[in-house]
Amino acid sequence: MSNRWGFEDLGIGIGLRTVHFGEILGRKPAIDWFEVLSENFMDTGGRPMWVLDQIAERYPVALHGVSLGIGNKDPIDLTHLGKLKDLAKRTNARWVSDHLCWTGILGRNTHDLLPMPYTEEALRHTVERARAVSDFLERPLVLENPSSYVEFVASQMPEWEFLARLAEDADIGLLLDVNNVYVSSFNHRFDPALYVDAIPADRVVQYHLAGHTNKGTHILDTHSDHAVDPVWELYRRSIARTGLVSTLYEWDENVPELDVVHAEAMKAKPFRDALATEATLSAAVR
Amino acid sequence: MSSPGLENLQRWMQAVVVHPGEIDEALAAPGAAAEVPRERVGDVILPTEALTSAERVGIYHSMYLLRMHDALANDYEALKHFLGDHAFFHLVRDYVQAHPSRSYSLNRLGDHLPEFVGRAADLKRRDFCHDLARLECAMAQVFDAEEVPPLSEAQIAAVPPDAWENARLRTIPAFRLLAFRYPVNAYLQTVREDDHDHPKARLKGEWVAIYRRDFKVWRLSLTREAYALLTDLAAGLTLGAAIEAAGKRGKRAPSAESLFGWFREWVSGGVFARVER
Repeated sequence: MSNRWGFEDLGIGIGLRTVHFGEILGRKPAIDWFEVLSENFMDTGGRPMWVLDQIAERYPVALHGVSLGIGNKDPIDLTHLGKLKDLAKRTNARWVSDHLCWTGILGRNTHDLLPMPYTEEALRHTVERARAVSDFLERPLVLENPSSYVEFVASQMPEWEFLARLAEDADIGLLLDVNNVYVSSFNHRFDPALYVDAIPADRVVQYHLAGHTNKGTHILDTHSDHAVDPVWELYRRSIARTGLVSTLYEWDENVPELDVVHAEAMKAKPFRDALATEATLSAAVR
Repeated sequence: MSSPGLENLQRWMQAVVVHPGEIDEALAAPGAAAEVPRERVGDVILPTEALTSAERVGIYHSMYLLRMHDALANDYEALKHFLGDHAFFHLVRDYVQAHPSRSYSLNRLGDHLPEFVGRAADLKRRDFCHDLARLECAMAQVFDAEEVPPLSEAQIAAVPPDAWENARLRTIPAFRLLAFRYPVNAYLQTVREDDHDHPKARLKGEWVAIYRRDFKVWRLSLTREAYALLTDLAAGLTLGAAIEAAGKRGKRAPSAESLFGWFREWVSGGVFARVER
């Protein structure tokens, strides 16, 4: 199985972070690809853009945003979208992703990924906006499942159903963050296997993996640590459905050295290798 | 109570999340309570076995100010050092109430902080803080400004000697000139060097050019006379008019040696982008 748009499997990458700029430019490490936080590069003509230009010349990159606010009730910010489109072109981004969330209302941006109520009204609203954004960007938008800390009484369906229907109705791609699935499953007490099994496999164009912080009563999605075993197990389970899909490790708090982050990302390799071997054997038997 | 629609829910949750007080105050504040009365929060957010509805939405509330604090602390390192963690956090709390982010980016969140600090009634050594905030704000803006190649030696050599008097020097976009009443540039330097022997927050003028060269932000201390000349040049005066004004400003005209030294420093620093004739 591969995604319906033929987005290539870029292999195993890591999120591009400022603390690693010097080492990446200097050492040019063998890393398959980088994910770039879109908004960090939209309004700068300084060193960040200069670094990104060089990285995009050498490595494949995908853009990942945090301010699209696909679920916002405010109008879509066309200035933001225009800059996003320009950045995607400048970096030859393989795809452009953001989150299933809302970020603010009445002109404000909380700079948080706030949770949606999973209602028919919210679904209609989000589908319409996702279609409009894809049209503007002239490429299918890719949306990531969020981690969340509240559930709304008003929700009429589980998150995985909302996400699947949104993807089908708006014809968009999905970035499946298996750590987010795990975090939300702990916080909302659902079976994470149900979630990953319900995602339309041919719409998954990327995976996210990360660490989190377990506070006992709830888990925070801090991207501050190694991924726990159950998250890797979700990854294994999901790639069995989707096939080999670009995989990325995020580390945002207490970011360690580049080699540590990359080594954590490379823990995905045995899972990917096992899947590839299985596919080869299966083809041989047939 | 029927569940709020998407818009009402977003208005309510934003009002709660950005409220500067504790979560119970946020839920009871008029902005939030107008959408969802405090006693009906359980009708909007499901509780868990471990957390009440209020505690769950409180997770988002607690993270908002921390996020704003981290963004501003990144740009205002020396101001935070001067005020201390507690006072800086309170400054951030008050500032983002007056100037919340309305942008997709956090890069420009702090653009209004200097004017806010300048009007803050209860800030210790407010005038010093105002100067320090102006300095750090300018540095953040210079960091992100558009990249334009500096004036090259070849471009300078191409200007005939008799054309210089009426020539105008245009500065690069990543350039700011600031005059201070307090020694904030020296203060910032001690913070960066982890030197605890900070200059006192007493009146002592400083004149500073802030510019970016090779993607690094530089701070160049100027004399009052050099600052005035560079200000005139940056404002578009011809070289001849700016030098003439410099000669009339003080008791003594700057010496040819001083002028030559200043221009050499500014050109080698990459402060100018082009010569217009």
